[in-house]
Amino acid sequence: MKQWAIERIESAKEKRLAAKMAGKPRMSAVWLIFMREMRDQLRDRRTLFTIAVLPMLLYPLVGTLLLQIVQFTHQHSASVCVIGTENLRDAPPLVGEDCFDETFSSDAEQLRVVTYAWKDIITTQTVEDRATEWVRTGAFDCVVLVPPSFASSPDRLHDSEASVRVLYNVASDQSMVARQRVSTLLGEWRSGWIRDRLSRSGIDVDAIEPFKMADIDIAPERTREAALWSKLLPFIMLIWAMTGAFYPAIDLVAGEKERGTLETLLCSPALRSEIVLGKLATVTSFSMMTAILNATSMLITSSFVFSHIGLGAAENSFGAPPIIPMLWLLVALVPLSALFSALALAVAAMARSSKEGQYYLMPLMMVTLPLVMLPMLPGTTLTTGTSLIPVTGMFLMVRALVEGQYALALWHFPLVAIVMVACLMMAAKWAHRQFEDESVLFGDSDQWELRNWVRHLWRDRQLVATPAQGVACGAIILVALFFGKLAVTEMPGDFRGIAKLILMPQIGMILAPTLLMATVLTTSLRTSLRIRMPHWPTLPLAVLLGIALHPLYVSMASWITYMYPVSEQAAAAMKPFAEHLRSAPLMSVLFLMALLPAVCEELAFRGFIFGGLNRENSFTRNRTAMRAILVSAVMFGISHGVLQQSLAATVMGLLLGVLAWKTGSVLPCILLHFTNNALSVSLETIATSNWGGAAMMFRMTSEGPEYQPLWVLGSGIIALILFWWFATLRSKPVEAAIERFDTDTPLVDPSARLTGC
Amino acid sequence: MIQVQHLTKHYEDLHRGTFAAVDGVSFTVGSGEIFGLLGPNGAGKTTVLRILSTVLSPTSGIANVAGHDVVNDPAEVRRRIGFVSNNTAMYDRMTAWEMVEYFGRLHGMTPATLSERIETLFTQLRMNDFRDVPGGKMSTGMKQKVSIARAMVHDPPVLIFDEATLGLDVMVARNLLSVIRDLRDCGKCLIFSTHIMSEVEKLCDRIAIMHQGRILDSGTLEALRGRHGEQDFEELFFGLLSKHEQGELRSHGSELNERGVIS
Repeated sequence: MKQWAIERIESAKEKRLAAKMAGKPRMSAVWLIFMREMRDQLRDRRTLFTIAVLPMLLYPLVGTLLLQIVQFTHQHSASVCVIGTENLRDAPPLVGEDCFDETFSSDAEQLRVVTYAWKDIITTQTVEDRATEWVRTGAFDCVVLVPPSFASSPDRLHDSEASVRVLYNVASDQSMVARQRVSTLLGEWRSGWIRDRLSRSGIDVDAIEPFKMADIDIAPERTREAALWSKLLPFIMLIWAMTGAFYPAIDLVAGEKERGTLETLLCSPALRSEIVLGKLATVTSFSMMTAILNATSMLITSSFVFSHIGLGAAENSFGAPPIIPMLWLLVALVPLSALFSALALAVAAMARSSKEGQYYLMPLMMVTLPLVMLPMLPGTTLTTGTSLIPVTGMFLMVRALVEGQYALALWHFPLVAIVMVACLMMAAKWAHRQFEDESVLFGDSDQWELRNWVRHLWRDRQLVATPAQGVACGAIILVALFFGKLAVTEMPGDFRGIAKLILMPQIGMILAPTLLMATVLTTSLRTSLRIRMPHWPTLPLAVLLGIALHPLYVSMASWITYMYPVSEQAAAAMKPFAEHLRSAPLMSVLFLMALLPAVCEELAFRGFIFGGLNRENSFTRNRTAMRAILVSAVMFGISHGVLQQSLAATVMGLLLGVLAWKTGSVLPCILLHFTNNALSVSLETIATSNWGGAAMMFRMTSEGPEYQPLWVLGSGIIALILFWWFATLRSKPVEAAIERFDTDTPLVDPSARLTGC
Repeated sequence: MIQVQHLTKHYEDLHRGTFAAVDGVSFTVGSGEIFGLLGPNGAGKTTVLRILSTVLSPTSGIANVAGHDVVNDPAEVRRRIGFVSNNTAMYDRMTAWEMVEYFGRLHGMTPATLSERIETLFTQLRMNDFRDVPGGKMSTGMKQKVSIARAMVHDPPVLIFDEATLGLDVMVARNLLSVIRDLRDCGKCLIFSTHIMSEVEKLCDRIAIMHQGRILDSGTLEALRGRHGEQDFEELFFGLLSKHEQGELRSHGSELNERGVIS
């Protein structure tokens, strides 16, 4: 008996362990899949060519070519024509035989000079016209005109007719170089002339130059050399990491789909997570290999090329790359490759064939390129603000490491790491979810046809928008707002103009598309906009939450402007706007700035878009709700246009999203939004009123009224409690309850049937 | 070994809107039995088999394979099935041996038992002369043999063949059918989908005729013949299909379905 009991406990333990382990990826299976994919890729000639052969051949080849071109440009000297040499009689010598006078130090030998007398040139055309023609056609890179009046004019300095003119063509690089050299020469010539005159009239020449000036670059050699490479190389490496990730990703997912092997793999005991991890590891390895091989090959070639052409000696900023500091790049490469690989895998999962996969490369590149370009912009340095931007922060940190600023890099390391890990986890999760989504894996490839699609939209209308329609609505609003902003050319001068400026986007670009889509695409305007009476206490509490949250919101907004300062230009542009609003009657300002945005934006973002995103399958309600909250908040944020406002609005959007989710209605959101905006616009009125509480809540600063710190703390606690109350409400998943099929077939009791078998 | 009840799968489609690819399908298959799913293209056979192999999840209904539910316990189901699809899925840059070995390893087999098993399978299926040929250079027949070896490597109690004879020449197809018969004799539970009637007649112990996501009728060949008073199986099949399309059967559909389960 006892033995039996122990056995039972043992088996229960085993079962519990098995249940715990179920769904967790096993390292052995991941390794197995990884090894197979690696072997498969390495057996592919095309892959090997792109990751290994191409960089090894490409860079040396380009390097050789560059050497040739450089040699060619060195030998090529610019041709200059000087017209009117006979007018230089009383001047010091300027031109000799075929070149400028030998007394000039700089670059004189690199200029080939042809001289003409002024009168030789005159035909039916004027001299100017012919000279212009010569420069334009490239017969000469540059033409110097010494007009006859140069010789004859009694006052050369003030006679514009007598000026020496240099004709050049800004569209031609050679002409620009020639012009640069000629002007330096002419400057030297003039200086010599001045010295001559001064010494002839008995003035000490040194009197005009009391001291010498020298500017010295104090940057250590390493930084100087690293400066360019630390900008250029990460960029190149990143591009290669992206390309290196994408092609294997297409082959590993879309290619497998095409060949039908994905289905067999999915039928095997390998878990989806194991498949994703194995493939992710493969793609990451290839991405890293591509980047490293390319970067190494490029570094070696460029060191070789630079040492040969000796450009490094002349211009300090463009030396051969220092090899050792570049090793820091590897630090960034591992997480970034993993990030791109996860993104590429998720995107490639949408493609049904390799060919289709190629089409998805472009959008992914377009989305990530700005993040890569940002660190290349002049003046972008590692700060708390920039370290919060994914990818960009990582690269700025690596740049700091390459340049030897270890303290700076270390200081921002935690933030950069957190952002990176968060991005990585999100991307990996997306890839994993793509592999669990059967519509992604087995989506049928029937022909898309506009008429069919429109019919489908109309025929299959439902109570609430679909997620795709929700996202489309958001996208339409954002695009409309973008173009609307372009259309505004100048700031209006009066209050009516401002009113128009606010009404137009709110009604025309936010409310109108929402209402239109809700009417056309759904069967119930009210349900799709989530207009329904919630549990009644939520309404007054939403107002209260708005009041309690406002101090926190204001603090957050000012913290954001501190982190990412508003440019002076933008601030100056906003100033008259704020002044007009201040002088306008409070009621109309409240209507324009609080009521109107609250209603329009909430109906769009927490109504139609949230409702659309919050539906779909009823089991995973939490996950879709999270997605709905996140996506609607981000769209809400972007719709505000100015970065600083967008960030604050996104945070606010998240709170509003939770409210929308928990109360199942848009009304509390409208109330909270209204309260918040109303407080923002009437802050000064309240603070300056002779209401007793005003002094307790506000203090005056040079920037205007501000909440008392104690009040911020107190109301923050109240807001937290209220928010917690909202968060503990049982969510009303109205959208989830809308079943599209009525399953009226009564199910047979399974146990009875199974025992019968 | 396989119990399916009121299995339903809905899809979104541009042309038809939401439609049911599988609509209330029920059947059972025991061990030592070959169950044939017969139906024209688009009848929903592949969808049913994909649900059984856990790569698709049903909209509603229950499917139980070898004692495990496909929705709640997919990993356990996958351990106990072998799936052979119509596209003879094979990695181009992998040899026959590597392919079978890979899946054996995924099933958690130890290297020793695995190589022994593969040797047996390769001899049994007469695959030894192309064991080192990469997939890209194989003929369809070779690929199909690899697929079968791959599906059988872990000796599963349940084998699923989804239009496995599609695109095979007569010789290879004949071979395949004899392999399937051998597997039945070993006591395996086999489910076999096709749109070729002669295969069903030759091979299957019991048959379900599927059309537009529903099982029109099912039972042994004799039972079907007796029920519809039609000796020629092809006539029987087309008669059933056209009757269904004319809508005569529509009202009796559910009743017949029930009978299909019971038979």
